[in-house]
Amino acid sequence: MATVREWLFPTGTELTSGESLTIGLTYFTVGLTVAVLHVTDGTAPWVMIASVFIVNSVTPTLAYAAVTASGGSTAAGVLSGWLVSTRFGLFAAAIAPRLWRSKTKRAIAAHASFDPNVALAMREKDDDDARRVYLATSLWLCIPWWIGGIIGTLIGSGLSDPGALGLDAVFPAALIAIIWPQLAKADLRVIAATAVVIAIALLEATPGGVPVLAAAGAALLALRRGR
Amino acid sequence: MLTWMVVVALAIGVYGQRLAGALLVDADRLPSRWRRVLDALPLAIISAVVALATISDDGELTLDARLAGVGVAALCASRKLPMFVTVLAAAATTATIRAVG
Repeated sequence: MATVREWLFPTGTELTSGESLTIGLTYFTVGLTVAVLHVTDGTAPWVMIASVFIVNSVTPTLAYAAVTASGGSTAAGVLSGWLVSTRFGLFAAAIAPRLWRSKTKRAIAAHASFDPNVALAMREKDDDDARRVYLATSLWLCIPWWIGGIIGTLIGSGLSDPGALGLDAVFPAALIAIIWPQLAKADLRVIAATAVVIAIALLEATPGGVPVLAAAGAALLALRRGR
Repeated sequence: MLTWMVVVALAIGVYGQRLAGALLVDADRLPSRWRRVLDALPLAIISAVVALATISDDGELTLDARLAGVGVAALCASRKLPMFVTVLAAAATTATIRAVG
């Protein structure tokens, strides 16, 4: 018991229980919401539960569903899903040197790299504290998100007439909720707006999926100096 | 709709990037300009996906009740409401307009 308590509440670090609870609650509701969306969209329950554990992220599946729902091919949907997860690679690269020396442990820890747990672990000055905070916040994040995903799958399977629920608007709505905080930065707003213009300009001229992938080019604007 | 094949493909892509980040990439040696590009890539893709999922259908420009639903979602997100509130508001708006129209 004492060990579990130390895992969840690492003493002597910057991490507060308020932060831990907020992460847990947020990711629980996100897991619940996203699982309901996918299952009412026709995803089989076991596929959804597998996705929660093995993809271990919501943006790739949301992006896939949004791309294919508006006429993009399966390949274009998967490619979009991969491209929206580049940030996880960057997070893993940032935090890995501060965790364990063992490559196996690093490989396992990488599966749990998300935005808030990496940010909170990086805040610690001492590597030992960073490792304890990463473990704690990963547990506070992953367990509620997995449980939320399973409960959402059960709720979604129980809904009778998903067609009447305005479901085609929910995937873009969920993605807007995810990106909104980033739009506070002016240079990122420019990148987002450019991506939208590219996608709409190419919409009727190119095959499904191409507009979204071409819009990825807007990220090159980040090469400019500044920030 | 997600299928087994899609989920496995997404999982390989996502974990592949996480693993490459953890084992291969030395974060300090990545030029900061390219780090910013990789950082901005998801935002660019998601913005384009949102736009097309809102105003297109099967590769054609289509304006319908979704636009109002996603507009309401943007409003909710700007008020920092939780994701499930945002999603519910978007679905309710879209469904109401369809039922009335």
